[in-house]
Amino acid sequence: MSGSELPKLARVAHAGHCNRCLSALPSSHIQIDASRLAIGFYCFGTLDLLGSIYEKTKEIEREGWREWLWHQQTSGIHGTGFKPSSYMTQDRPYGTDPEEYSEYDTPHLIMTYTAILSLAILRDDFEQLDRNGIVRFLQACQREDGSFTSFPNGGESDLRQVYCAFAISSMLDDWSGVDVDRAVSFIQQCSSHEGGYGQQPTGEALGGTTYCALASLYLAPSVSDLHAPNPHVTTDERRRTIRWLLQNQASSGGFSGRTNKDADACYCFWCGASLHILGVGDLVDRTAFLSYLASCQFKFGGIGKAPEDRPDPYHTYLSLAALALFPLEDADPSWKLPRLNALWNTTEDTADWIRQHVPLYTVKAQSPVRK
Amino acid sequence: MHGVKRVQYSQAALEAKKQRDHDKLKAYLALSDDVIARKSHDMSNEAFELTTRLLRMNPEFYTVWNYRRDMFIESLFPQRSPSEVNELLSDDLSLTFELLKQHPKVYGIWNHRRWCLEHIPDGPSPDDVNGYRNSTWNKELFVVEKMLDADARNFHAWNYRRYILATMPFPPPPKSELAYTTRKIEANFSNFSAWHQRSKVLTTLWETGELDRVKSIEEEFELVRNAMYTDPDDQSVWIYHAWLIGNGNYAARLQFEITSIQELLDEQPDSKWCMESLVRYKRLLIEKHAENLGDKKALVDSCLELLAKLRDIDPPRRRRYDEIAEGIRSGNEMQ
Repeated sequence: MSGSELPKLARVAHAGHCNRCLSALPSSHIQIDASRLAIGFYCFGTLDLLGSIYEKTKEIEREGWREWLWHQQTSGIHGTGFKPSSYMTQDRPYGTDPEEYSEYDTPHLIMTYTAILSLAILRDDFEQLDRNGIVRFLQACQREDGSFTSFPNGGESDLRQVYCAFAISSMLDDWSGVDVDRAVSFIQQCSSHEGGYGQQPTGEALGGTTYCALASLYLAPSVSDLHAPNPHVTTDERRRTIRWLLQNQASSGGFSGRTNKDADACYCFWCGASLHILGVGDLVDRTAFLSYLASCQFKFGGIGKAPEDRPDPYHTYLSLAALALFPLEDADPSWKLPRLNALWNTTEDTADWIRQHVPLYTVKAQSPVRK
Repeated sequence: MHGVKRVQYSQAALEAKKQRDHDKLKAYLALSDDVIARKSHDMSNEAFELTTRLLRMNPEFYTVWNYRRDMFIESLFPQRSPSEVNELLSDDLSLTFELLKQHPKVYGIWNHRRWCLEHIPDGPSPDDVNGYRNSTWNKELFVVEKMLDADARNFHAWNYRRYILATMPFPPPPKSELAYTTRKIEANFSNFSAWHQRSKVLTTLWETGELDRVKSIEEEFELVRNAMYTDPDDQSVWIYHAWLIGNGNYAARLQFEITSIQELLDEQPDSKWCMESLVRYKRLLIEKHAENLGDKKALVDSCLELLAKLRDIDPPRRRRYDEIAEGIRSGNEMQ
């Protein structure tokens, strides 16, 4: 099948799916209340990739979302970050001064990452960002072995949190919150004999954590060039990882996340982006890739993990992000998506916004223009 | 008339479902608000029961797990005997087991289990301070086995299994874990998680000298050869085989395996994994044992022939095979 024979990308339907999810989710989704900010990111990210933020949403809504996001920024003894949502706090009227968080309401590392991206997608000016507080929060989350926990007082620690710490530091252009050498050492210990990286040092290689490892190693301050050999990845690790990643592309075109598992649309991003970062994106069978994701489109909008599966914002966003990394020349114009920054996982336009507004010092300013 | 009735019935059912959804959400939100209002000051039994109800509805609510643990430490444990504390923790272990059966991948539940295990008190008596601990930790292996029976690839469960073996006061000997992986592998060769665990356990046994590495590797090659012949399409087997080969410094072993895999390929001429592995191991021979090679050109030609066949039978990786072929032709090191 050539690119031109593929069905179209149902852009309007997918934007609709995410827009609906931004308003409400059914009771079957009660459990993701604890990750509300992340769901928001997948929805905003989808609209950003489809170029529909301004088309599909009103300024009053965007203002409301920005306000809600800032409402989750919280400061206290361990520094500053963003909570997943306000579900564990009694309602405080917008505009009033926040209290310091208690041990129950601490910020969450992964949510802090998604909050910054979401605010950038919504083109916030980041005047309210407590940069120093965030740096202190990162320090509070790093453990002896170099890994990071989701919260300063505990929680699981694995490569996902390391990636978020690296991405945040990179966006702030301030690495003082991270002991990079120790973190890199932890990442390298997660390298699996299969190739790829597991969640923790003894774990099986997983697509998601492989992306987290590689993106982190390429974001690290000592690495300036995506195209040069990375000092933290040995030739052997690189070769094994490429081999493992490529073997995870099934004949359907989709990628699986682990040895001997079924294809799942989200791994098209985690594995696809990993190959892209390693500079071997050309080795991916793009037509099959696109064909798989096309078949995961749900008839009423949204993209699911496999054909016929129910969609959700997570799979919708990651499928589109994967498609943005692997454009196909002769495909229908509906498949044309903006360029993606694979290391931060956002469009290049949003990445530019981040570079101009998130760091304390930007290229233009001679002195800090904000606190 | 019949058709109209059916439409009405399904509409009513839809309405009922909507109402149930609405009620469920309302109950959840009310309960959630109640717990939130209490958390800063209420350490009572009543509050504790509310957290139980809330966690049953939403076990991802990690802050409620935190609140629950605070209640244990601040109000439920103090002034209770070790036997009562042990009882409370056993109850929570039962609760989390029940929740894990419905939500096997929720981090918060696994974390709470670990916390409970780590807080088991000394007892039951001054002469037997580890009694409670031993009995509870020993049961954990049983619990994680049940989880793995339900889903042999649940990496949360495998990570947890490794945590138990590393932390429990009197772990079973590594050889017994080796036997566990044998059982899991024999039940299903596709269970890569079991092969993976096996590689970890063997590494430990070799390091401590409990198993003779050379002899053990021989036996592993035998095991994997059986698996290969039984199911040559199974990726797990080939990845494990590659692990056994390692960096390919042992030329005789490489030659032997190449011959063995070639025999399998003769029987199964379309086996992608056979071909891919042959290319891989022949390249290792070329790269690492060039001085001892009789006919290097024959090896190179064989690789190119295999890669050409692989292009046909494994189209998703066509470009990869082309790249490898190019590397071999130009004599470059393996990329």
